[in-house]
Amino acid sequence: MATRAQGKVGTNRMRTFYAILIPVLILFVAFNTYPLITGFLYSFTDSKGYGAFNIVGLQNYADLFTDTRVLNSYLFTFKVAVVATILTNVFSLMLAMALSSKIKFKSALRGLFFVPQILGALVVGYVFQFLFTWLIPALFNTDYTILGDPTWAWVAIVVVLVWQSCAQTTIIYITGLSSVPEDVYEAAALDGAKGWNKFRYITFPLIMPSVTTNMVLVMKNMLMVFDQIIAMTNGGPSQSTESISFLIYNNGLSGGQFGFQCANAVIFFILIAAISVIQTRFLNSREEQL
Amino acid sequence: MAGLTLEHVGKKYPNGYEGVKDFNLEIADKEFIIFVGPSGCGKSTTLRMIAGLEDITSGTLKIDGRVVNDVEPSERDIAMVFQNYALYPHMTVYENMAFPLRLRKVDKAEIDKAVHEAARILDLEKLLDRKPSALSGGQRQRVAMGRAIVRKPKVYLMDEPLSNLDAKLRVQMRAEISKLHDRLGATIIYVTHDQTEAMTLGTRIVVMKEGVMQQVDTPSKLYAEPCNLFVAGFIGSPQMNFIDATVGEAEGKITLTFGGNTISVPESKAEALKPYIGRVVIAGIRPEDVIEEHEHAEDKRLSEPIDSLVTVYELLGAEAMIYGDVDGGAISAHVSATNPARTGSRIRVAFDMDKLHVFDKETELAIVH
Repeated sequence: MATRAQGKVGTNRMRTFYAILIPVLILFVAFNTYPLITGFLYSFTDSKGYGAFNIVGLQNYADLFTDTRVLNSYLFTFKVAVVATILTNVFSLMLAMALSSKIKFKSALRGLFFVPQILGALVVGYVFQFLFTWLIPALFNTDYTILGDPTWAWVAIVVVLVWQSCAQTTIIYITGLSSVPEDVYEAAALDGAKGWNKFRYITFPLIMPSVTTNMVLVMKNMLMVFDQIIAMTNGGPSQSTESISFLIYNNGLSGGQFGFQCANAVIFFILIAAISVIQTRFLNSREEQL
Repeated sequence: MAGLTLEHVGKKYPNGYEGVKDFNLEIADKEFIIFVGPSGCGKSTTLRMIAGLEDITSGTLKIDGRVVNDVEPSERDIAMVFQNYALYPHMTVYENMAFPLRLRKVDKAEIDKAVHEAARILDLEKLLDRKPSALSGGQRQRVAMGRAIVRKPKVYLMDEPLSNLDAKLRVQMRAEISKLHDRLGATIIYVTHDQTEAMTLGTRIVVMKEGVMQQVDTPSKLYAEPCNLFVAGFIGSPQMNFIDATVGEAEGKITLTFGGNTISVPESKAEALKPYIGRVVIAGIRPEDVIEEHEHAEDKRLSEPIDSLVTVYELLGAEAMIYGDVDGGAISAHVSATNPARTGSRIRVAFDMDKLHVFDKETELAIVH
């Protein structure tokens, strides 16, 4: 009797689990897995996104490496991602340390600095576009706008990316900082660790887990930069701010390169996955168990 | 090594709460001073003020004659062992111990010598390459000690260093610390709420309560002559018996009456009690000074016998504790394991009158020991 009753309870619980799981699974497969697979299959074709197409084997993949526009988009994306990831982490860590110290209005300030996180990337992009195009030139009484300069437009993109991603990164650093036991700092103070030494020998090594998380997350997000580009430059001026995602979207859907950009997307996917794994491995080895 | 002076030291928090009030103490070189008291009595706060981890809000603190109120913790030449050890989790045992010296830019060879010396003293030589997470509680404790030792500081501060260890290890480490004190010839200030630690380790004990220093004395003096009811109750385990008793005078003798029991006070203590005739005082007697009739009582000046009903009998091994009701109160007594008394027995006990303490009921101060 007892086992039968248990079995029944077990089945009921399983039924609940499946009831929760299956709808999500259907949605996930329909809108994620299925497109992923079809995208992968299209990468072996010369599809324009409409009409008939031929299977071209690995031709798209071979062409990717000689297409200067694609190569430039990779250069641009990596340049932006690396610079923005470093700056985001540096600023966030500084901000988190300030917001973890004994200051007035700490909670209010923490809330304030989190606001960029809840704003949509497109909204932020358009606001900054307005700033860069109209307000700043007006302020300095000049005709020069950074977004119109092929050499420096990427800097404006970095500014926006850093501004927005600092919010979440800071929160993670604040959590990391609060996990360092107070008596470790006290012991360090007695041992003579102050200022830079305290940060270098105590704080930084002890928040290494947060550094790993943030480096990987921010790097991944930055590599996939898209919304801000759409809002601010639309890839211009003269294709100088075309990120990989932007190029895949733009040329894939409206440039008649559907099959070719699918191949690009596959390579990009593998690249991001590989970078995340390598980063995690490398940074994990420097982490410490508290 | 050095002495320490605390003059009228106080700690008042911004919310007005006074953690420590008018603390005065002169600590000589090589003393082993214990701060003891219940939670929240200000003992750790006082220690942290000496360390420089808390600001001193009034009074002066001198180390080796130099006022250090506003000196940074690292400049005070003190080392502290924390309750949770506060080891650096990302450093090996070696690095943990070397860290204070590295920051002081001590020569590498010298650091190496100091660390190995400390490791040898504390039996940590085989663990030098391990991280704290791979150590047991007792080993971490020793590393924390090691980190303090390598600095060769003027004063060692220890904040309940043994409270996270299991009972057996605690006894072992207690002995180690005692040996360490002799070996280093160090001035140690040690905070604990464990009165056994206080009694066994300290050359002098400071008993604190609610931020106020109650008594400073050697362990034996503190045990034999507690200055007030709190100290009498806090030091000694099981606790001293307290009974409300009325002071009287009969046939030229001073007596104490509780319930139907009257005991006469020996002449040595009588004089001090004369002003209290007709008033209620608190009589205090430690369990080992309550003598059951089957126990040895030679050379002891016993009181008149008191009838008691045993309510609890606890065999401790070689000895036993009996808790009994007497007319006018309750009394615990230490007896030998061979004593026939058991729960429910009616027994007769007597007080060793030389060990009787009497306290003023209002001021709670000791009247006579």
